[in-house]
Amino acid sequence: MEAAEFIQYVIAGLKSGSIYALVALGFSVVYASTGIINFAQGEFFMLGGVLSVWFYSLGLPLPVAGIAAVVATAGLGIVFERFALRRQRSANPLVLVIITIGGSMVMKSLARHLFGPDELSLPEFTPGPSIDIVGAAVERQALWVWGLTVVAVLALWWLYRKTRLGHAMRACSISHDAARLMGVDTARVVMISFGIAAALGALGGFAVTPLTQTSWDAGAVIGVKGFAAAILGGLGNPLAAVIGGLVLGLLESLSVAFISSAYKDAISLLVLLIVLFVRPQGLFGSKRREKV
Amino acid sequence: MTRLKSGVMSYVAITIAAVLVAAVPLLSADRYILKVLVYVGVNVIVIAGLALLFGHAGQISMGHAAFVGIGAYTSAYCVGQVHLPWLVGVAVGTALAAAGGFVLAMPALRLRGHYLAMATLGFSEIMYVVFREARGITGGSDGLGGIAYPEVAGFSFDTPVAVYLLVWGVALLTVLLVMNILRSRPGRAMRALHATENGALACGIDTAGLKIRTFALSAGLAGLAGALYAHSVGFISPGTFGLDQSVIYVATVVVGGAGSLAGPVLAAVALTLLPYADALIPGLSRETVAVLQNWETDIYGIAMIAVVVLAPAGIGGLLKRLRSGRAGEAHV
Amino acid sequence: MRGTRVLSAVASMLLALVCVSASGCAVADPSARADGVEPYRIGAVLSLTGTYAGLGVPEKNAIELEVSRINKAGGIAGRPVEVIYEDDASDAAKSQAASVRLIDKEEVLAIIGASGTGQTIAMRTDAERAGVSIVSMAGGSVLTDDFSQWVFQTPWPNRIVIPFVLEKMAAAGYSTVGLISDTGGYGVDGRDYVLSHADDAGVTVVADETFNSGDTDMSSQLTKVRAADPDALLIWAAGKEGAIIARNARQLNMPQPLYGGSGIAREEFIEGAGEAAEGVRLGTGKILIPDSFGVGTESYEVATSFIARYEAAYGVEPDIFAGHAYDAIGLIADALGRIEGEVTPGALRDALEETNAWVGIDGIFTYSTSDHNGLTTDEMVLYVIEDGTWRVDQ
Repeated sequence: MEAAEFIQYVIAGLKSGSIYALVALGFSVVYASTGIINFAQGEFFMLGGVLSVWFYSLGLPLPVAGIAAVVATAGLGIVFERFALRRQRSANPLVLVIITIGGSMVMKSLARHLFGPDELSLPEFTPGPSIDIVGAAVERQALWVWGLTVVAVLALWWLYRKTRLGHAMRACSISHDAARLMGVDTARVVMISFGIAAALGALGGFAVTPLTQTSWDAGAVIGVKGFAAAILGGLGNPLAAVIGGLVLGLLESLSVAFISSAYKDAISLLVLLIVLFVRPQGLFGSKRREKV
Repeated sequence: MTRLKSGVMSYVAITIAAVLVAAVPLLSADRYILKVLVYVGVNVIVIAGLALLFGHAGQISMGHAAFVGIGAYTSAYCVGQVHLPWLVGVAVGTALAAAGGFVLAMPALRLRGHYLAMATLGFSEIMYVVFREARGITGGSDGLGGIAYPEVAGFSFDTPVAVYLLVWGVALLTVLLVMNILRSRPGRAMRALHATENGALACGIDTAGLKIRTFALSAGLAGLAGALYAHSVGFISPGTFGLDQSVIYVATVVVGGAGSLAGPVLAAVALTLLPYADALIPGLSRETVAVLQNWETDIYGIAMIAVVVLAPAGIGGLLKRLRSGRAGEAHV
Repeated sequence: MRGTRVLSAVASMLLALVCVSASGCAVADPSARADGVEPYRIGAVLSLTGTYAGLGVPEKNAIELEVSRINKAGGIAGRPVEVIYEDDASDAAKSQAASVRLIDKEEVLAIIGASGTGQTIAMRTDAERAGVSIVSMAGGSVLTDDFSQWVFQTPWPNRIVIPFVLEKMAAAGYSTVGLISDTGGYGVDGRDYVLSHADDAGVTVVADETFNSGDTDMSSQLTKVRAADPDALLIWAAGKEGAIIARNARQLNMPQPLYGGSGIAREEFIEGAGEAAEGVRLGTGKILIPDSFGVGTESYEVATSFIARYEAAYGVEPDIFAGHAYDAIGLIADALGRIEGEVTPGALRDALEETNAWVGIDGIFTYSTSDHNGLTTDEMVLYVIEDGTWRVDQ
């Protein structure tokens, strides 16, 4: 295989991988603060795309439409947490997962009723021919997706390390009780975590729509892949989630290259299963020791 | 109420259910209702097995539809391509699904919570790809049609009534079987396991072996349901055995109440019937049905959230309270 | 005693279930009209949502248009036609469930559908078990190759379209072909045909990649195709992914021209692919440019009349899928009119098989007991997309 071809596969893998990374980040943020898996994360991604198309169709300029979509989805995430989840604080975590699944079904279905069953498109942010990188062609929009992912990760890093809220979130990820004893308003932290996760998912949806179009059911597949990526990297660690996403994207792309396009989904999941069995905390997670 | 009395009562309930099941075809010749009730019966078998795993052994499976698919495709293949007798085909399908559960459980059950969910989810997605790609055996994404009716010793179950009675016969036996397991020593061991794994270990219960065997049994029941489904309906496709369906199974058990068997079974009946409301409510206008179908997922999702928020112990919890007048007694 | 409370609760629930189901057969047939004229009930299973929604929606439009025209003119032998629609959401399992509802509950005389090949095959078992005809609007050859007494087909199957397109490619000087197809029924059927007929047409398939419906990025597959350096690309897909492939190919700076079949003969393809649609060639029927029928012929009159009525009702021109649906309902109406005696599903099937030179949009149909498709390559035209619309390729 020539170098240019190989690099093309890597580029394709990093392109889908960065989308998985954004969605995985959302899973990670929620898991870190609350310990639950939010199955509606894929729908936040979908809403980012669908809402930005809608805002754009109302005449808003593209960047404004995107920001509006991200903010609206973040608001929805907060509302969802506040009204559907908060009461169940002490419930069986499985119940919380079920609620997020129910929420996901409703969001998906409402999107279909409100925005129709068809594909929806957005123009590219900066239209133009693909850029040549060492012999491989990269779409300009892909650069946008990478750029926004990097910005998101940096923003999260800054949040966690440099702000009080971030410290509070990290405290919650270790222990809610201990955090509360230290005066942290854990309920507010949980609510904001959902808002951030929704914003991240929506950002991914908005950035990717010019590339792949979007529709009411765009969240389902992405949700599973994002979840897999988060687990692959190690739940609870944002940087690990991003790396997990990129690795998953590369795995898929390289399976097409070297094995077969038909089985690409199965191969990446198989690798994930192996990782889970051999190293369940993910590539970068730390082993949790359980005390009796 | 003593355990003995509650045991007798459960058997009586099953007998009444059996009588009612037998009564339906006597009262109605409507083919459509019988076919819809066949779907219900198949789901009851799956849910009984899942409730056993989930509610009593406390293990999650986010991929149970994959086992249903394994049973369905295997049986269809054995009968259709290899020309084995129907009973053998179903047995092979059930066994293969159980074996699949066994193989998955061995490494997977060392994982906890979300990791186990992910492993079963991953397995389900992989099986979906296999169902879709192994076209020689499964017919690919278009599915497999022309599956023969069930046939035992020359008698062919080729009418809707016969199929309905066969499926419900098996469903009632399955419920009986699961009830018996729950009363017996392994059942009590499972509940101990669910309550506290370390405590169970301390009492000398082989937790790892128990978990694996329960998972395998639960998977086998799902496979049995799949095999019955394939021959009743005559057509199967990968879409029926995907993640969406697995999620619905999990939700059904939770809505039914993860600590009981009656709850999940009733939830299975109710939730399977929901999109087919027009089968039961005569004269329901076509527009209403169209609206119901259009909003089916919304209704489903909201119902799930509502039940889980307002009645976290699910239907089973409500039943328990009816029975004992107070919450929290452990029985079936 | 407390125990009896649960017992009675369970018993009464099940009893209610039984009573309700028993009463189901006592209710009068809701569709019988007051004047005693019972309509002909036809079922329609269409993909109104999902990846094939772009096929199902125009199909439903066309059927509704034609049914209202037939009924306004007095119906068939004085009886109106009533079509009952079901959405299969592009899912084979739902098509099968829909066919059960239509056959067992609504007791239809025939089913129009489905929009997709896999979805049609899903209904076949129930149709055969019950003895009800299916008139499909899907293009997979397997529907009539794997012959069934109860399945009819209105579009040009892959068996006709593919040799046509391959020969055009060879005639244009392209001898090696990179193929990319989807894993649904239509794509798989198409791929099989391409691989088995490439030699006859004089081309060689040097790359053979697949994708699944729902995939959003086919760059990896196209990279592999690019590495094989074919003269031209052939896309065989019917869903929305076609547009993505065209865009991916353009973004990878692939120089090869793109060819396709009916699956990409859609407005959505042009919209979704944008600039990447320019220069794409596809083989399909004559409705896109009605002059191809030959001005003044009966086919031309039928087509232009339909186009005018459709545009007046819906504000857009009908596409090939509306044409498939027009033919489906038209063939059934024509057959119904020819039945003497009691109208049953079996009688309808027999009448369909006697269809002779019926002028439709997809072509002139003649069915028989062994031919349930009735069309030839005479119905095919090669188009090229220029300036966002189709032109006949000279």
